Amino acid sequence: MFLAIRELFYSKLRYILIGLIMVLVASLIFIISGLAKGLSADNASAIQELQADYVILNSDAEMDMTKSFVSRSNMKQMEQADGIKEVNSLSIQMRNATVNGTDKNEDVSIFITEPESMLLPIVAEGNAINSTNEVIVDQSLKREGIQLGDTLTFGEDKEVKVVGFTTEQRYSHTPVVFMTSEKPEKMNAFVVNSGEASLTSIQDEIGSNYEVVTNGELLKGIPSYSQEQASLNMMIVFLYVIAAFVLAAFFYVITLQKRDQFGVLKALGAKTAYLIRSVIGQVLIISVLCIGIGVGLTYGIGAAFPADMPFKLSPIGMLQSSMLILAVSLVGALISLVQVIKIDPIEAIEGAGK
Amino acid sequence: MSLVLENVSKIYRDGPKEFRAVDDVSLEVKQGEFIAIIGPSGSGKSTMLSIAGALLSPSEGEVYLQGENITNLSTKKITEKRRDQIGFVFQAANLIPYLKVKDQLNLIDVLSKQKRAKRSIELLEHFGLKHRINKYPNELSGGERQRVAIARALINDPQLILADEPTASLDSKRGREVVELLADEIKNSGKSGIMVTHDERVLDVCDRVISIRDGKIEKQ
Ligand SMILES: Nc1ncnc2c1ncn2[C@@H]1O[C@H](COP(=O)(O)OP(=O)(O)OP(=O)(O)O)[C@@H](O)[C@H]1O
Ligand SMILES: [Mg+2]
Repeated sequence: MFLAIRELFYSKLRYILIGLIMVLVASLIFIISGLAKGLSADNASAIQELQADYVILNSDAEMDMTKSFVSRSNMKQMEQADGIKEVNSLSIQMRNATVNGTDKNEDVSIFITEPESMLLPIVAEGNAINSTNEVIVDQSLKREGIQLGDTLTFGEDKEVKVVGFTTEQRYSHTPVVFMTSEKPEKMNAFVVNSGEASLTSIQDEIGSNYEVVTNGELLKGIPSYSQEQASLNMMIVFLYVIAAFVLAAFFYVITLQKRDQFGVLKALGAKTAYLIRSVIGQVLIISVLCIGIGVGLTYGIGAAFPADMPFKLSPIGMLQSSMLILAVSLVGALISLVQVIKIDPIEAIEGAGK
Repeated sequence: MSLVLENVSKIYRDGPKEFRAVDDVSLEVKQGEFIAIIGPSGSGKSTMLSIAGALLSPSEGEVYLQGENITNLSTKKITEKRRDQIGFVFQAANLIPYLKVKDQLNLIDVLSKQKRAKRSIELLEHFGLKHRINKYPNELSGGERQRVAIARALINDPQLILADEPTASLDSKRGREVVELLADEIKNSGKSGIMVTHDERVLDVCDRVISIRDGKIEKQ
């Protein structure tokens, strides 16, 4: 570290410049990751948080819940299947809700299930549902000015009262409204509580007219979900590659410039391993510092975003990205190390051996 | 005997042709002896010095340092030999640009995991560099730089000091001072030294002058 630190201080400007690029790339990686996570939650937190072990769809639905139809008359059959302990149904409707009979309206996703259903989420504020005219809604509606006791009207007929707020319940970029009813004959899916029974055993039990899927598979079936995530993830991958190349190019050029110095150091008795440690030390110092600043910057920027912006930072995800950036930087420094290994101490003496 | 070269040759092959940069050279350097090597450009002076300093291994012949045959040691062992027993003074001083004068010497301590802070201060004082201790190389004059390089070559108390044209970047007065400094150090502490030079005016400071031409020693 003797050499590494002294050089960083001496050549401040050049290392600050590369550091700046690192900070920006790291922040961009964090921000896009936050956006990916935020959008994912905005699009499907209701599915991610679905309180069921498995979901049963019509087998023609290709995992897309909105294309799936099951009928209430088959619910008994499900209840009797081996391995299934409890069955409820789920119908999803995308609707526009008029608030308190005024001009104000909101796009929402209505999740209809039975009273006492396993799907009904924990209420964070207000009360649980007691009648078919009561609903609990995602708390993002609170930001839109909706309060407990407000009425929502769907179309001409149905009028319901908001009795509770819940968290992390959004679907297709709209807030979810949980409503109870045993009326609908056609539903989108059955949801089951299966205890220990495995997916395949349940699948065998209920036959090939149905398909048993996990929450994760259901996520991929949401039409926009995969594309949205894929494009963001591709950006993130590119940023990692850019980080690796920028660092690789920078340290490669710097190492080339320092050939003579490395030659002299080797002639003076510095072992190659020592010089390698020195270069890696510099990469580590710069990367850790820049990633740290990037983390700070990202939290700062995140705080400045409007509350309804789909942006979510998780410490664990941040840590994973940080480790990956660090790893990528070290990989980028590798070709410089090859240079350092190859430099011959004879280069310290002018003319001879070159 | 500090350094012995025995029938040493360095052969460079260019296709079928072979070129002898150093051709069957034998040389002994005694303790306390300071030798100058002169000769025209391309005659093999630097090559010979590099072999003596274990920077280059000879194609033929043997090299003995303090009685030990170092011709076929591993790279790691050779590096340690250079670090502990040989001091180099290069043509352009070759100080590390981002190290202050005191750190130029401390570097050698760091590499050999020793502490000789006191010795380095003494050396710098002795060389009239005490007031320059916190300066970077680019803040020093050519002569000061070369003196730091000599101090650096001496810090590990090497038995053998090798210098390749240490006066090339200095005017003749400064050049002579530097060479006298080297000679004093070698005489007073019983070391051995070899200096390659183009500067005929400093030869009187040396004990012996060897002239080489086309890789061969002409006269001793
Ligand atoms: N790696 C190499 N391959 C081929 N030839 C080489 C190599 N290194 C040195 N030579 C040749 O060996 C000869 C001796 O080179 P050397 O550097 O020892 O000369 P020198 O006496 O130090 O010259 P100068 O006074 O110009 O420094 C030169 O002709 C040089 O071209
Ligand atoms: Mg030369």
